[in-house]
Amino acid sequence: MALSMINTALIIPTGNEIKSGVVLDIDSPEVMRVLLQKFPKCRITRIPPVADDQDQLIQAAEEWADSGVDLIVFIGGSGGGHRYSSTLSEDYTHSALESWLDNKCSYKIFGKNGHLWCNLICGTKNRSLVINLPGPYKEARAAIKAFVNTLEENPDLKALNNAMKDAVVSQYPV
Amino acid sequence: MENSERVIAFADKTVLSISGLKIKGLNTQDIEDTLSEKLNTVVRVIGVTGDRIEMDVYGITPENIDKDEDNIIKAVACIEGVTLTELAEITENKQIKDADIEHLPDFDGIVCGKEKWL
Repeated sequence: MALSMINTALIIPTGNEIKSGVVLDIDSPEVMRVLLQKFPKCRITRIPPVADDQDQLIQAAEEWADSGVDLIVFIGGSGGGHRYSSTLSEDYTHSALESWLDNKCSYKIFGKNGHLWCNLICGTKNRSLVINLPGPYKEARAAIKAFVNTLEENPDLKALNNAMKDAVVSQYPV
Repeated sequence: MENSERVIAFADKTVLSISGLKIKGLNTQDIEDTLSEKLNTVVRVIGVTGDRIEMDVYGITPENIDKDEDNIIKAVACIEGVTLTELAEITENKQIKDADIEHLPDFDGIVCGKEKWL
């Protein structure tokens, strides 16, 4: 596969609030829309939401990476979450990716309060390209758009990661 | 290949929590749009449970939010997927505090910097 061509993609929504239906998953349809806009022939699978659990997150993606899916997109669980507020969910997607991916680069976006607001990772597992997106809709939309736009010009992991970081930071009113 | 960098977002925000709700099937865009319009600023939902919503509200002080508490709760009550209980109230309304970001310790990727820092 040329890295700039996505023929198959897997979307993995994460989070207990999504899994239980307390919150509607509006990110996955938007990610699908953006991917189809750029890659109309792409076959996209959205699997059921995965709980905030490191082992379950990796397990959900492992089989797909083994089968050679072109792109795996994790949504949510990218921040500090429960580590700052006991009422927030447990954000484990980024730590799962850090331990699972073969090659990776990341941008950790901290707030001026020293809290981790978002850890964006681009990497590979076997032949699959793997990225994560923040859960808030506008940030997820900005990041996936930046990803597909950059993929065509420069499918380098670092360039993709940098473009996604800029897109997410631009959503904070600084 | 392994490469990790970090950036600091210099945005002011107030963390706002509303409890005493019954929530099912919430479209977070509805609540962000409604409160953004009411408060005339950017609102981002960062956490939801079955009875509580936590949000980041940018560029507005907790005092201004306090003044508008009743209207905020009434606005939230109008959103599909949210039902008020008689216990509905703002339970957290705090502006973030600046940290000494020059001296954040290294971050190993599994936990956040602040967690090690404390």
